[in-house]
Amino acid sequence: MPRYETLVEATLAAPSHRPFITMWHDEDDFTTMTFGEFVRSARIRAAEFQSKGVTLGDTVILIMQQGPSLMASFVAAMLLGAVPSILAYPNFKVDPVKYRAGLSGVSKNLGARLIFLDQQFPEGLLDHVAVNDGTEIARDIGSDELAFSADLPVLVPNSNSVAFIQHSAGTTGLQKGVALSHRVVLKQLEHLEAALRLNENDRIYSWLPLYHDMGLIACFMLPLVYHLPIVMQTPANWVMRPGSMLSLISEYGCTLTWIPNFALQFLSRRVPTDDRASLDLSSLRYAINCSEPVRARSMDEFYTAYSDFGLRPDALQTSYAMAENVFAVTQSGTAEGCAPSRMWVNARLLIDQHVVIPMGNGDRDAVCLVSSGACLPGNQVRIVSIEGEDLPEGHVGEIAVKSDSLFGGYYNRPDLTASVLKEGWYWSGDLGFCLDGELYVTGRKSDLIIVGGKNIYPQDIEEIVWSHPLVHDGRAVAFGVFNSNLGTEEIIVVAEVENQDDLENAFAIERTVRNAIVAELGITVRAVYMKPPRWIVKSTAGKPARFATRQKLLSEEPGLQV
Amino acid sequence: MNPLDQNSQANALLDYIVREVIGRPGISLSADSPLVSSGLIDSFALVDLLAKLEDVTGMRIPAGKVQPKDMDTVNLMLLTATRIGKPKKSS
Repeated sequence: MPRYETLVEATLAAPSHRPFITMWHDEDDFTTMTFGEFVRSARIRAAEFQSKGVTLGDTVILIMQQGPSLMASFVAAMLLGAVPSILAYPNFKVDPVKYRAGLSGVSKNLGARLIFLDQQFPEGLLDHVAVNDGTEIARDIGSDELAFSADLPVLVPNSNSVAFIQHSAGTTGLQKGVALSHRVVLKQLEHLEAALRLNENDRIYSWLPLYHDMGLIACFMLPLVYHLPIVMQTPANWVMRPGSMLSLISEYGCTLTWIPNFALQFLSRRVPTDDRASLDLSSLRYAINCSEPVRARSMDEFYTAYSDFGLRPDALQTSYAMAENVFAVTQSGTAEGCAPSRMWVNARLLIDQHVVIPMGNGDRDAVCLVSSGACLPGNQVRIVSIEGEDLPEGHVGEIAVKSDSLFGGYYNRPDLTASVLKEGWYWSGDLGFCLDGELYVTGRKSDLIIVGGKNIYPQDIEEIVWSHPLVHDGRAVAFGVFNSNLGTEEIIVVAEVENQDDLENAFAIERTVRNAIVAELGITVRAVYMKPPRWIVKSTAGKPARFATRQKLLSEEPGLQV
Repeated sequence: MNPLDQNSQANALLDYIVREVIGRPGISLSADSPLVSSGLIDSFALVDLLAKLEDVTGMRIPAGKVQPKDMDTVNLMLLTATRIGKPKKSS
């Protein structure tokens, strides 16, 4: 594979007749676009962006439904040397006031020159949205209606220029923008190419959102640069009929897919037997479990469900990835025929004391850990104690990452950057250990909750709960509890009422709180517990203590841990 | 579809949602109560609800043509079934 200087150069080198995106909505509703058609569609949009004054270095925010138009708009911005950034498309649950505030915040932070929307974007979400002077809002009018300007200049920046901004965790207005240069993105892709032994017969399947690194890097940038076809669904389309993912992999002979842990379990349990009969998953070389903690049980369940349908025992692999490193730090299964390493350790000592004590398979108190694989070339990890000392193999500490694809900092947020990027190392906040050259991720230093691959800060939820007039100010906590039936964490909220008598209105308060959380954050919580005053455990500093409150609730409600 | 049919379909769905999806028997919901947009159920429950909707209405509903917003209330679910459902072939 030739080496390119920029993503634009790689895109323009694609053979025009080669199939690129198959966008699937239903058996009678799908389209396939070649690389030639894709580039044409991108160039038409680039001309449109140029007419709006977009030029080298400008930021362009894209809020469009998942599909070829969004992808073409992304490349269109890069053709002009501008910097695209995809934001999550608002779902119907969103509260307009909160959404406008969030959009305004992120647009100011990114200093956006253009906010580009599709035709379906609800007008009501735009009324009086406050943006910077000089920020224009425009809608995509559909590429085929516009004349194609073949002589559109391509303003290719150098490889160290920012190619795009992807977002890390956080609510819309407070998201951390990770600015990535062409060089670091191409480096990451080069490492993935080698690790996954990419070849021209590969074909990717994805339902992953493009505002997330796993969707954007593995399932858009990788096929774009290596000129591979991709079969896509929207997340909403997939969630309504999860088995369609497996039917599409079978039908199109897809070889690579990335998938968060919960989806493995969702697919094991929610696909009717009749829909499995014609599956043939033998084409699948890699189904990579990534973006939330990897669970042995979810992987075993998936393999058991689909091994009779051609799924190879070594297809299920793992990766540890983060937006700050473009994407992957580690990858398992880089040697053909190897399943990810596993080990049994004492669960109690791991959780309470962060120590790794190996045990036998199935021993009492033993938990099975799955390795996330070895570092990709150009990537290194250190395991560091709370005191800042490097720990030897088999000891749990914070995972720090250094690589040739590491970001340079959060966009316009030097304060946040300084707290995580020190002397060339990124401090991930994740806990783990190394053994025999492989990384095992065991938890998190912070209280971050990961639901279905989406990172959620508990304080974002708690602030919403506090704002209810009958909830005691500052007396609510949110935390994650792993649900083994779902294969992911779920969010539990505990809140104290202002007065004991207010408990009579517990269900009404709960409904209001649930409503507000879903409208503001688009998140559904599993349970809200309304408690009397002074129920929540406080820290020595007098603040609600999430971990201790979680333990107290779980001892009262053991059924929560399934 | 006569009104009685629709009523009993709505009740069957509500009963299923309260008992099986939310798991809180005793709470009161109406056929117009928002479910997804109110945070009572999340989109991962929709695949089960769609199967139940097919069961209750006797229709085959093409999932690719259903959006989460079409399933936000029991009445919307029944409307969706009427709009895009096709009678199931009897086995």
